[in-house]
Amino acid sequence: MSAIIEVRGVSKAFQIPTERRDTLREHVLGLFEPRQFQELQVLDGISFDVQPGEALGIMGRNGCGKSTLLKILCGIFPPDAGDVRTHAPITPILELGVGWNPELDAVDNVCLIGSVMGLSLAELRRRMGEILDFAELERFAHLKLKHYSSGMSARLAYAVAFAAVRDVLVLDEIFAVGDAGFKAKCEERFRGLHAAGHAVVLVSHDPRHISEFCDRAVLIDGGRIVHADTPSYVVQRYLALLAHAVPERRARSRLGPRSEPRATD
Amino acid sequence: MSWTGLVWTLVRTDFKVRYHGSWGGFVWALAKPITMFVMLMAVFSFLFASDPTYKLNLIIGLFLWDFFAEGTKSGLGSLDAKRFLLTKARCPSWIIVVTSISNAVITLSVFIVIIIAFLILVGRAPSPTAAAWFLVYAFGLVLIVLGFSLASSALFLRYRDLNQVWDLMIQVGFFISPIIYPIQILPERFHIYLYLWAPTAVIEFSRAVLVRGVVPTLRGDAFLAAAVAASLLVGALVFRRLAPRAAEYL
Repeated sequence: MSAIIEVRGVSKAFQIPTERRDTLREHVLGLFEPRQFQELQVLDGISFDVQPGEALGIMGRNGCGKSTLLKILCGIFPPDAGDVRTHAPITPILELGVGWNPELDAVDNVCLIGSVMGLSLAELRRRMGEILDFAELERFAHLKLKHYSSGMSARLAYAVAFAAVRDVLVLDEIFAVGDAGFKAKCEERFRGLHAAGHAVVLVSHDPRHISEFCDRAVLIDGGRIVHADTPSYVVQRYLALLAHAVPERRARSRLGPRSEPRATD
Repeated sequence: MSWTGLVWTLVRTDFKVRYHGSWGGFVWALAKPITMFVMLMAVFSFLFASDPTYKLNLIIGLFLWDFFAEGTKSGLGSLDAKRFLLTKARCPSWIIVVTSISNAVITLSVFIVIIIAFLILVGRAPSPTAAAWFLVYAFGLVLIVLGFSLASSALFLRYRDLNQVWDLMIQVGFFISPIIYPIQILPERFHIYLYLWAPTAVIEFSRAVLVRGVVPTLRGDAFLAAAVAASLLVGALVFRRLAPRAAEYL
């Protein structure tokens, strides 16, 4: 069976300047003071395949490059090196949501993000009731998103993405929102999509999600895949990695705080 | 994948956000150049009382300028304004830039209808050829704005004060363009410098065909065509180089 997503030797680095310059004024004033750049290698030669109908889990510590990898998979970031070939449309839910315009109501936002995800307007209009029903937001359909709570926005995001999914679903931190009832509904829908043959790429820190929902998993550390195996084995290695990292972090915190660089110039 | 649904949704929602979802709100877009026209006419028509076509020239200049100013401002901020789409899904960024000037194009289209209807009413109906030339010049201005928008929208993500620099340029550009004064009051040797500012050519050529019924020289048209081509080419090149990494700067 041929892979639905092929990732070959993907690398990504961000250039971190010693001094941020975001304006023309800063660039002109700093014309004769060249900056030093430090390279932050986020991904380093990542390769894997996703087969049709497969659920692939991705685990790793914070800052290991999981979210950057998902953005490259979804075509939001270009890789510096390597190649991503996708043979089917991808529906993403990244960083606990999809993009909303706060000045528009739920119906218009669903039309906007649904169109980006490849749904036709006719299909969106036909399925609007189903989407709002899944999000439990029928009563607030014409309320601007700026008045929504973060939970309501996230519920709407899951509802529209679940409705829009064509072939591959990419999820960053699955079901981290909503009450227990909504989480159960999402899990049920997720199982339904997987059973119907949709491929899924799922990033999670939760061992239960990876063990329960995935067919295979990879563990990323230092920008590389360090393990690619069964979900239970990868979960075990991830927990071992965390256990090893805790004493390291404690030692670091005794040395004083360290400021985190931003990933773009 | 067909992007027609996305294009329509972007145009419709931009209109809704800007004009609060009603054509009543759209009246405000027309009110701005009309108010400006009334104010400027009240002052300058005395100064240029000897020119019977001054008012007509003024309104043509103001509406074309208003499109240029509004279109370039919307285009410059377009990628930043749609960050909620660009950072969360694969979205063709060029569609965002192209649709961002849709509101300004709608206002310009309404103006074109108004001005031609007005000319017919006052017995100065432009010939079909003159009206066609005017449409060509207006379309040229749309393409110039598009070229600028492609380049500036991508540059704005790296230079966050570009909108303020452009606001200053718009302020200066209003006086460089012969909107409130006839270009003839300046010595002819300065005209070439005024024509280097693209809106000048569009405004002057539109006035020539609509008010004076004169088609500009071939040299003049070639100059405008070159300005349109240069704007689109530079815009496309800058956009092609910078836009793929737009999401990394948002």
